[in-house]
Amino acid sequence: MPVRTIEVKKNILERNDRLAEEVRGRLQEAGVTAFNLISSPGSGKTTLLERTLQELDQEIPIAVITGDPRTLNDAERLARWTNRVVPAVVAGEGGCHLDAAQIAAALDAIDLGEVRLVFIENVGNLVCPAEFDLGEEAKIVVFSVTEGEDKPLKYPLAFREARYAILNKIDLLPHLDFDLPLAIANVRSVNPDLTVFMTAAKTGDGLEPWFRFLRERTGALVA
Amino acid sequence: MHEMSVALEVCRLAEEQVGAEALPRVTRMGLEVGNRSGVVADNLAFCLDTLLAHPPFRAARTVIRRTDDSALRLEWVELDDPELENANIP
Repeated sequence: MPVRTIEVKKNILERNDRLAEEVRGRLQEAGVTAFNLISSPGSGKTTLLERTLQELDQEIPIAVITGDPRTLNDAERLARWTNRVVPAVVAGEGGCHLDAAQIAAALDAIDLGEVRLVFIENVGNLVCPAEFDLGEEAKIVVFSVTEGEDKPLKYPLAFREARYAILNKIDLLPHLDFDLPLAIANVRSVNPDLTVFMTAAKTGDGLEPWFRFLRERTGALVA
Repeated sequence: MHEMSVALEVCRLAEEQVGAEALPRVTRMGLEVGNRSGVVADNLAFCLDTLLAHPPFRAARTVIRRTDDSALRLEWVELDDPELENANIP
């Protein structure tokens, strides 16, 4: 049978990107800043968010959208500090990232008039979440000193797509062979423009610059 | 992993282009997958082979062109066209 060829030439993620732009528009219209936290499992994202909510939620109303392949564990931990947690649980154990449609649906459950900052705690995975625009202002890649200095080299897309990086668990440095200058050099080799925060979410060390940054980004810091 | 999400989007885009009723007539789809796209072309091909082997498709195949950038595009869709066959009848 004769065949007909239809020229398409479309970005395969175009629907996600279109929805992400709609999300971005909703957030901008409401004056809400949103950050998409991506990391491998166990880097300390949830502990960092707990600390952040503890410190700032009274000052800067914060909502958190959490993504996990299974369980509401992270959402339940964060719900101790705020009632604005929306679990966008990724269906099934194969779920590896959040997409813009899930964020759009999660925003429907948040009164954007009452918040100034939204954190998206993405699924613990440094590969797939880097691919998907969620309508955030910026991606923040979180990694920790227990993971090795070469994380930026192994997962360059995540570090290239991010505008900020958080190197967490620095309180453990005295107990590890982690080469801090090498880790920073690796970050810079992949993305020279990344702003890097060094934190110990567990102990609270190094969190002040992070809090100051969030105050600045949300307009809560008056010069 | 996320190659299956991408594969499902390819099928959705194909349906958008040819219409649901024509999906069984799709014979091939051409994609561009860049080596900086974050998508593993072989994994995507595997996922697409799985999806295209089942209805509404009828064993359509994929042709993936690897590029040296971040491209992730559906370039073309090819389908059997009975109208063209009828047009060729002398």
